[in-house]
Amino acid sequence: MSAVPVLETRGLGIRFGGLKAVDDVSLSVPEGLTLGVIGPNGAGKSTFINLVTGHLKPTSGTVLVDGRDLTGVKPWVIAKARVARTFQIVKPFRGMTVRENVAVGVLYGPDGTGRMSTALKQADEILAEVGIFELGDRPPGELSVADARRLEFAKALALKPRLLLLDEVMAGLRPGEIEPSLQLIRDLKARGMTIIVVEHVMKAILAVSDEVLVLNAGQRLMLGPPREVLSDPQVIEAYLGHKYATRAAQLSEAASAALAAPTPTPTPTPNAVDIAEEEVGPDA
Amino acid sequence: MATVTPALWRRWGPWALGLVGALAALGLQTQLYTGQVRTVATIFMFVALALSWNLIGGYTGYASFGQVVFFGLGGYFAAVTMTHLHWSFWVALPLAGLAAAAYAVVIGIPLLRLRGHYFAIATLGVAEGTREVVINLDGLTGGGGGITVPTVGAAAATKYLGNDGFYLVYLALAVLALLITGLVSRSKFGFAMRAIHQDEDAAAAVGINTTRTKVLTFALSGLLTGLVGATYAFQQVTIYPERLFDVEITVLMVVMVVIGGSGTVLGPIIGAVALQFLSEWLRQNYTTVHTLLLGIIIIIAVILLPQGLVNYLREARRNGDYSLLANVRRYRL
Repeated sequence: MSAVPVLETRGLGIRFGGLKAVDDVSLSVPEGLTLGVIGPNGAGKSTFINLVTGHLKPTSGTVLVDGRDLTGVKPWVIAKARVARTFQIVKPFRGMTVRENVAVGVLYGPDGTGRMSTALKQADEILAEVGIFELGDRPPGELSVADARRLEFAKALALKPRLLLLDEVMAGLRPGEIEPSLQLIRDLKARGMTIIVVEHVMKAILAVSDEVLVLNAGQRLMLGPPREVLSDPQVIEAYLGHKYATRAAQLSEAASAALAAPTPTPTPTPNAVDIAEEEVGPDA
Repeated sequence: MATVTPALWRRWGPWALGLVGALAALGLQTQLYTGQVRTVATIFMFVALALSWNLIGGYTGYASFGQVVFFGLGGYFAAVTMTHLHWSFWVALPLAGLAAAAYAVVIGIPLLRLRGHYFAIATLGVAEGTREVVINLDGLTGGGGGITVPTVGAAAATKYLGNDGFYLVYLALAVLALLITGLVSRSKFGFAMRAIHQDEDAAAAVGINTTRTKVLTFALSGLLTGLVGATYAFQQVTIYPERLFDVEITVLMVVMVVIGGSGTVLGPIIGAVALQFLSEWLRQNYTTVHTLLLGIIIIIAVILLPQGLVNYLREARRNGDYSLLANVRRYRL
């Protein structure tokens, strides 16, 4: 692990008129870390990604990539610095085939090649990696939701990124379709890629994150190991509302009471994950 | 004997067809009457114009409704330098193209930040404004009274080219526009243009410098349009701002590209040839109502083939469904 973090933000913020969409977020992501980012709707998760990748210009703070100040530069400069992203709403190039969609990234990415044949060959390799090789000749409009998300993934991987920001790549997927995406993230992790995962699917966050950042109303609420963060009462309250927080506390007491019983049964500590899955479901 | 494989055909077939087309156009010239030479030359002129609009409007998706500004600027550059500085047409022509390209860069940098209708309206405004400037620089441009390029005597550095001469120049410009479109559509740069058309944010996210790509495309498009304008000015001898900055020229470019199929190589050519041919035929046979009939035909074409002929055929072949009604339904909002 190198000493310089792959991504560092210092006091990063943006305001739209009177609204501080992201407010004073400082963060350091060392190489190889997978950071999960959660927070209620409107907490500023996507805005945070947009600030880091140059799609929005911050009104305060700095963004450092590998120690280089890349605050407010254009998105293509960020892309050339090997920071790739996916979009929450998939953005395929509709007039091109799936293969060509990925080839564009190879052509214009940090290792930009001018050779079309090389780009198309590399695109095929990336498509195989995300599991949609056989769809290479199709127009993206014909893809299923899950495959369209995979294409979004492939387009990001075409940049051979060091840092990959995934903006809800699992939203709208059925439980059975989530596992291949998780496996893909695990594979990339194993290769040492630094990944930031914005996700509402808690199971996914838990499965891949080394650390979890909780955003609430644009601010950094908490940062720490996933289990710890998700069982924090403050997080539960921000994420699920006051009612759930109270209920979680009651469950916690019940668990303590169970421990005091003569034949103690191992009761898992209740946390935001269990409540979320039980009450809201994985896709909420 | 070498066999033509599909891959080989895909790579070289279009170029071979283009070459055959250009040679056929040269042969055609010897078979035409004087009036027909003029008509066909005008068709070539519009082929070149439609192809140049297609670069920025079709491939890149920035509908320039002020494209005529490059036509007028190229034309006035040639006329003014040939009249006042006695430049040869062959010097004035390329420099007029470059002047138009430079103007495209200057107005493109601010205007290409606008998207969709805003860009269309802003370019329209710039074209109208530029015409007013040309009218008011009457010392140089002759103002509203026009300017006449010397074509005979000592003042004329280049003798008038005549019908056959302009036929060849327009043909060369159409071939040049086709060549550039063909090269661009298959190149890395062409991918960037199409990516910007389809999603500018996504294009930027994969490393495409969208600003540079758009400005360069606009300049290329302006260059070609300016070359055509310069030729047109010399052909007309006397030019007026009202004619050289006529919105109708922009509209024709747009309509030709849209009917033929925007963002394709063949579409603008088919659109320009079809529309000019049809317009000429209607004018000769239905003199009094020809514009009305032309308008009706254009409306029907746009309703039935909203994506243009070439794109329609491409999609129909893939789906195996040639029904026009199904096509209308597919593109209905």
